[in-house]
Amino acid sequence: MHWYVLKRLAVAPLMLFLFSVIAFALIQAPPGDFLTSYIAELAQGGSSLDQAQIDALRRQYGLDKPIYQQYLLWVGSILRGDLGISLEWRRSNAELIGERLLLTLALTTGSLLFTWLVAIPIGILSATRQYSFIDYVFTVLNYIGLATPNFMLALVLMWMAFDRFGVSVTGLFSPEFAQAPWSWARVVDLLKHIWLPMIVLGIAGTAQIARVVRANLLDELKKPYAEMARAKGLPEWRLVLKYPTRVAIAPVVSTLGWYFPQLLSGGVVVSVVMSLPTIGPLLLRALISQDMYLAGTIILIFCALTLIGTLVSDVLLAVLDPRIRMDGA
Amino acid sequence: MIEVSTAASTERRRRQRRPATWLGSALAVLLASGLALAQQYNEAPMLAEMVARGELPPVEERLPENPLVIEPFEEIGTYGGVIRRGFTGPGDHNNYTRWVYDSLLRFSVDGSEIVPHVLESWEPSEDFRTWTLRLRRGMKWSDGHPFTAEALTFYYDAVLKNPDLTPSVPVWIANHDGTLATMRAVDDYTVEVEFDFPYTLFPLELTFRDGGDHTIAAHLPAHYLKQFHPDYGDPAEIERMVREAGLNDWTQLFMQKAIIQDNPDRPSTAAWVPYQSTISDQIYTLRRNPYYFAVDPAGNQLPYVDEVQFRFFADVEALNFAAVAGELDMQDRHMQLTNYPVLVENAERSGYRVITWPTFGGNDAALWVNQQYTADPELGEVLANQDFRIALSIGIDREEIRESAFLGLGELRQPVAAPWHPYYPGDEYAFKHTEFDPARANEILDSLGLTRGPDGMRRLPSGRPLRLEISVVPAFGPWPDVAQLIAGDFADLGLATDIQIRERNTHFTMRDANELMMEIWNEDTAGFPFTGNPKIDPRSSPATIFAVESRTWYATNGERGIEPTPEIARIVEIIEEAKTVGTERQIELAQELNRLVADQLYGIGTVGLTPMIQGVVVVNADLANVPDLVANDWPLRTPGDARPESFFYRR
Repeated sequence: MHWYVLKRLAVAPLMLFLFSVIAFALIQAPPGDFLTSYIAELAQGGSSLDQAQIDALRRQYGLDKPIYQQYLLWVGSILRGDLGISLEWRRSNAELIGERLLLTLALTTGSLLFTWLVAIPIGILSATRQYSFIDYVFTVLNYIGLATPNFMLALVLMWMAFDRFGVSVTGLFSPEFAQAPWSWARVVDLLKHIWLPMIVLGIAGTAQIARVVRANLLDELKKPYAEMARAKGLPEWRLVLKYPTRVAIAPVVSTLGWYFPQLLSGGVVVSVVMSLPTIGPLLLRALISQDMYLAGTIILIFCALTLIGTLVSDVLLAVLDPRIRMDGA
Repeated sequence: MIEVSTAASTERRRRQRRPATWLGSALAVLLASGLALAQQYNEAPMLAEMVARGELPPVEERLPENPLVIEPFEEIGTYGGVIRRGFTGPGDHNNYTRWVYDSLLRFSVDGSEIVPHVLESWEPSEDFRTWTLRLRRGMKWSDGHPFTAEALTFYYDAVLKNPDLTPSVPVWIANHDGTLATMRAVDDYTVEVEFDFPYTLFPLELTFRDGGDHTIAAHLPAHYLKQFHPDYGDPAEIERMVREAGLNDWTQLFMQKAIIQDNPDRPSTAAWVPYQSTISDQIYTLRRNPYYFAVDPAGNQLPYVDEVQFRFFADVEALNFAAVAGELDMQDRHMQLTNYPVLVENAERSGYRVITWPTFGGNDAALWVNQQYTADPELGEVLANQDFRIALSIGIDREEIRESAFLGLGELRQPVAAPWHPYYPGDEYAFKHTEFDPARANEILDSLGLTRGPDGMRRLPSGRPLRLEISVVPAFGPWPDVAQLIAGDFADLGLATDIQIRERNTHFTMRDANELMMEIWNEDTAGFPFTGNPKIDPRSSPATIFAVESRTWYATNGERGIEPTPEIARIVEIIEEAKTVGTERQIELAQELNRLVADQLYGIGTVGLTPMIQGVVVVNADLANVPDLVANDWPLRTPGDARPESFFYRR
């Protein structure tokens, strides 16, 4: 078990190096660079820079250097623990990501918990009452949830909130709290806003996970050990929760690894639509404006998270399922 | 627009304004105290409190001897309140620039003339080689430090003359031979700028030097910025600050400190100054500048409104939604024309009104035709044929475009200046070739030897099929819709037309590589053909597709690229001559240019004068003095040219 974890950890730096090369190459792939998109953006406002200004900026941003040098500069500073400075925001990447990280994690964890708290009981209920009325109701709801793009749901809910209550539910804070230092009142304000994006982000996952739990549990309930327990007179609810459920949620846990980066990035459209101050829109914006240092850094962090997430889920699985422990060690 | 303001016209304007000003403040004073004392001013309650506490000198000492008088659009206002606006992040720095319009000289509300702002007056020598700029005696920076000629000379010495900050001399302040013009302070309140040629566009150029586009403004707080410049400050200390901020060199530090959107500590002369926040924050807050140098005719120091808050939106639609919900008090930037019906529908309920400011002449969706298309020489020849372009122009059903793409707003026209503008070439040119006449278009196409094949589609003279392509960027306005409609009209003429919707960068790259056949782009520079990057000047970059190879030709002095046709060369001649002549000749030249535009149809105009670009304006129902009509353009810094310092809440 320890060896297994150590082995995985040892490969991580190599993987990260590969990811960094790929990420950098991908960001550089579209035509132009940060300055061309910056100039294009200015042109949209009707203004324009003259060639002298453009040359000065290109030199200042170091965009006149060859690509490999730009890459080495970037990776070099990351190795020194400096995440660099965003071209567009002209602020340190660490600061930009940092101030969004907490809110992003709060939102991610919140919607993950929401998903599990809703999905697992529904899955269990559907499985134990297979083909009952309640199973059909949940099945229909699940399919609707799965089929509705979550940004669409966000738009509909936003419009309803405006239409019924005359408020726009964008953002995670009211304007008066957006810049305020953390306080109890700010947390309350956050809670007032965060529930809606939490539900929107979590709802699609709910459907998926409920289906997975239901299917797995149905398999387990038919197995001889379950029959055996029933024959021995174990109460049904205790039987279901004690063994089959544990097995049934194992696949759910194993998806945790890619769940985190998916929630960080997968919620981009929802975050953009709802104007949430999270990492998703920051990454999207950085990619559009070809702010390669910021985009590269975020992508690298996502990759690191995936690596860590996969490791955590593997360990969790081992804890949950003794059979994996045996094989792995 | 008059691009030259002579001493005489400046003087005339001052004389016109003075009586009203004097009468206004005298009246107010008479009412207030019964004393006919001309120098009595009022101030905002929050500032009066600070004066009472001894934190601020009295208003008379904060204002210059001759403050700028801003006439409110409707009435004298009252103090207080917050204006909430939306912005889209650090790339949206011009949102601030436009709002404060903190420039040496400004444009009038109708965009027709240049008027004093930070500068009290300006005048040229007889030969237009030397310009004398006069500052306001007793004016202060927002930190209370005197505003003197050093504001300009520091910019000249520390920025323009510094090769690290300014690697090559900017055209706007260059002599004819490319060297930097000479600037000297005559006294604390007078600056002279001397060129080696008659340069009549100088005042116009000064209106643009307000730090727009994230550049360094032409008037700088020397007393504050010297510490960040190695010619003045302590090199070791500068080195330490550069390292601490994680920057590469001192120029980055200097830029960061000199550009106010990044640095709220930088003193300013704007009506509102950043308050403990920057353009990369979630809420960018501005508070009134207690030293702002302008008053209303009654002697009330402006601005009326205490605070301006810009709220960050990651997405333009989310910003529009907030406006629909009545959460923004004055928003023109980022408002989408397509949302106009929704905005109007919810106006009463959310407590705002919607006004529209049309674009400043030109065209909001012109079809630009490449005159130097080399990828297919035979097709290129057809595109360069004036009759072919006339056929295209009269083959477009513009009314349909206006109805379905522009919600029925705007005017069917060629990309020439607006009718209220001195450069307007007359109706016969503005509407030339805009009549929808497919029969005649077909006749012209037939006469060009573009015969129809068995499928009804036209062939090139050599018999190869003729396929046109329109490249469209889905930005700015409803251009993909416009392209779709045009392609339909062309198909009716037997011209097979493809539409390529491209991402902006791809489009720009292809445009520079001369790979585009036609594009939809606007012509928003018809009112400013002699400065900046006019769309009709083949040398502009970025410009339009019509003659990019001639840009190279001009840049390499004829070594590479394609030599311009006499008509295209004439455009460049007109622009160059206009930079050195007086107003009347400039108007003649501009009208000639506009006639050429309508005759040659390098850009075929469809609809213009719509509120497409930042012209749908959502205004809090209680906010007064917002003009119904404002000249709307980037060089005019709209909505800054609407004079936001005179907006106030009527309660």
